[in-house]
Amino acid sequence: MPTLELLLPSIVFVPFVAAGLSLWAGRRLGQRSGVLMVLAAAASFVQCLHLATGSAGARVMFVHEWMPSLRVALSFCGDPFGLFFALLISGIGTLVGIYSLSYIPKLAPARVGRYYASLLAFMGAMLGVALADDLILLFIFWEVTSVTSFLLIGFWYEDEKARKGALTALLITALGGLTMMIGFLIVGITTESFSLQALAGQAALRERLAASPLFFPALLLILVGAMTKSAQWPFHFWLPGAMVAPTPVSTYLHAATMVKAGIFLLGRFLPIFGGAPSWAGILVPIGLVTLLLGAVEAFLDTDLKGMLAKTTVATLGLITMLYGLGAAGQDALQMLAHATYKGALFLVVGIVEHATHTRDIRQLAGLRRQLPITFVLCILAALSLAGVWPSVGFLAKESLYAQLLGGGPLGSWVPSWLVLGLTVLANAFLFAVACRLVFGVFLGEPTTHAQRAHEAGAGLWLPPAVLASLSLGLGLLAPTTAALVSHFSSASRTALHLTLLPDHWEPLLLSLLTALVGIGIYVGRAGLERMRDQAQGAPTMQLVWDRLMEAVTAVAVGFSVRWQSGSLRWYLAGSLVFTVGLSGLAWQRAGISVLQVPVSLQEMTWYGFTLCGMLAFTALLVARSTTRIGAAIALTSNGFLTALLFVVYRSPDILLTQILIETVSTIFLLLILYYMPTFRPEGTPPMRRLINVAVAVAVGFSMFAFIMLSTSPQFREVKNLAADYLTRSMAEAGGANAVNVIIVDFRAMDTNGEITVLVLVGLLVYGLLRARRKSA
Amino acid sequence: MTGDPILRMVARFAVPLTVWVSIVIFMQGHNMPGGGFIAGVMAGAAGAMYLLAFGPAKPSRYRWWKVSVCGLFISVMTGTVPFLLGRPYMQHAIWHFDLPVIGLYELPTATFFDLGVYLIVLGTLMTIFVELAQEER
Repeated sequence: MPTLELLLPSIVFVPFVAAGLSLWAGRRLGQRSGVLMVLAAAASFVQCLHLATGSAGARVMFVHEWMPSLRVALSFCGDPFGLFFALLISGIGTLVGIYSLSYIPKLAPARVGRYYASLLAFMGAMLGVALADDLILLFIFWEVTSVTSFLLIGFWYEDEKARKGALTALLITALGGLTMMIGFLIVGITTESFSLQALAGQAALRERLAASPLFFPALLLILVGAMTKSAQWPFHFWLPGAMVAPTPVSTYLHAATMVKAGIFLLGRFLPIFGGAPSWAGILVPIGLVTLLLGAVEAFLDTDLKGMLAKTTVATLGLITMLYGLGAAGQDALQMLAHATYKGALFLVVGIVEHATHTRDIRQLAGLRRQLPITFVLCILAALSLAGVWPSVGFLAKESLYAQLLGGGPLGSWVPSWLVLGLTVLANAFLFAVACRLVFGVFLGEPTTHAQRAHEAGAGLWLPPAVLASLSLGLGLLAPTTAALVSHFSSASRTALHLTLLPDHWEPLLLSLLTALVGIGIYVGRAGLERMRDQAQGAPTMQLVWDRLMEAVTAVAVGFSVRWQSGSLRWYLAGSLVFTVGLSGLAWQRAGISVLQVPVSLQEMTWYGFTLCGMLAFTALLVARSTTRIGAAIALTSNGFLTALLFVVYRSPDILLTQILIETVSTIFLLLILYYMPTFRPEGTPPMRRLINVAVAVAVGFSMFAFIMLSTSPQFREVKNLAADYLTRSMAEAGGANAVNVIIVDFRAMDTNGEITVLVLVGLLVYGLLRARRKSA
Repeated sequence: MTGDPILRMVARFAVPLTVWVSIVIFMQGHNMPGGGFIAGVMAGAAGAMYLLAFGPAKPSRYRWWKVSVCGLFISVMTGTVPFLLGRPYMQHAIWHFDLPVIGLYELPTATFFDLGVYLIVLGTLMTIFVELAQEER
């Protein structure tokens, strides 16, 4: 079908159009602009579905020339793995849209419009990441998700913590993105292809990349990009910090989609980099550390969303590890399982917070009576988190254990028994977290917070209900799930075998062990919490990051204070020294010694010498003057004497300019004289005087040498600029006044820059003086 | 800030005269000494003379920065229009008109660029002058 590929750009750009619409119509629509979000997300979802069924597993490509000279194209690729991710994004986007309609409180309509606009733009960018084939295009969408997520995390911008969390998330993910871009560029330049499909599909390109000395740097840079986005250790701390976002945002960005972009990228690059030993050597230990750290910290947290965020970190670590092991056949299963149950849990926590106004697990208990529907949903989702039969989480865990047991070659330096052991331990902690969520929040005696709670409306519990029942249903329909995730996996050739009733005893045994250890951890939680309290104040990555940011700010402030001191003399000296240095460089490049310049004074008549003497005298007066007004008068006389010089040497054009400029600057000087600080020439330290003299001499000498050179006969033979411009002026620009023709035609670009600066200066003076008058 | 009677007397004639000269200098700029920049400075000087003689009350009614922004727009457009027509940015042309009375008249499009420069220089100078003149002493 020829129209099928046109769906690809449509899927990606419909949300962007809706975002613009929401921004524009938000003022009028207010709360209702969420409907736009639901509609756009649903539209993208339906299109993805149509594409997935219509293409029947084949690759659909959309390629549009964009910057052919740079080999960058607007190209999208609808392969099963990309479509799977896109379906996840748009599907959960629809549910989050519905949830937001009830969740977002009554705020200024424009602000609500902005919220949905950011959410829609984020969704469009995520869909772009999922479906882009061109690496540069992928990078652009990638950074758009960073920026929009910054806006979304900082939605409650009145709160300082929200601002800080948003900034940390932006800095880490955007810096990671930039690092990744360098990696992309290395890949693109060595292989001369920016197309992911071409890179994955053509062995010749991969060999060329592997042979390059830049192979390892490229791999490392791209991995940093993926690891920052997916919150892998040591960059994991931004994710718990981002929990200040509204809960629908946390659900969408930090459970279902954005944090998965990193591992999605790993899936995309597995065929390209997977063969390298460093791939597994980096990803397996990093993934393992992240998994364990996330699981343990999640159990010890007291904030409900913080707990969920850290379990997310753990699962992301798990998938990173799987990619490191090259077990790509599982990715779709693990991602699907995680997205459904974690999305549901986040939304459940949102309901709990909505009803009780707290997320602190220590203040919550016994909510089962007040929130019966939420309780059931939480149990369903928690089953999956704990990996209890018959949820999809159980299937995922069994499949994981089977993979680790069956092993195959684990191309990593981490021994496989350690990988297996730590994975079981981490899963046990996740089991304990699930217990804590259900028992801690919903069972026991109701607290004061719990007693006031009321069940939420259908708009709030319906979306998590869909996700929770999916999480259960996908487990019950194990064979269908197996077919589905095998089809959509990035390694679609390997069929995954899943059954509702386990047919191997080894993974089942490990699951039982996991559950037992998990119960043990839950029962012995008091001891663990004591250990946590003792370890308070130990250095964390967050602390290291804060110190780093403080250091960066301190260096920036120190530099600015010293360099931009506000002293006009310092600026003037700086730019003059720079000019002299630049001209020195020109001399050196041209290979001419300043001392060789022929000094010819035969055109200087007696009146020339007289004028120059007067000029020198007035200049000396400016420097020696003890009052500002005296200096101003001397400076003006100097300027008009210069004008006289142009009279003597018959240059009417420059004469006119000189006289006018001199007049206007004198008026300026007199106007601002009143506001200048007191003039204290005697207060200048001797060292400062010495520097001033040195700068003055250097500038004078350099200008003199240049004039002598440009007017010397030898130089004119090489390039006679004056004659050149005079002949071209009339012929090419139709003007006899060469000076003006240079300004407006030959060097119009320079003039363009200058007049822009002039306008800005005018606006600046206007703004500054107005503001000063207003404040006075 | 108002000047003395003699200055006011002189300014009554000198200000319009200076503006007129500035326009002449602008018009002849492409072939004889002159041009947008100098003409703009001259018009600004006329404005300064007005301010010194009559005070900032009247000129401060206008937003002079709008003049310079207008000028910038004109200048940039003379560069952009050829670009949009598929020629290099800032490429100027020479228009020839066959007018009934005057005869053949040449108008380089660079003149529009120059007009922009004139307006920018005048607008910026007047913005600064008017604002400074309004400062409390």
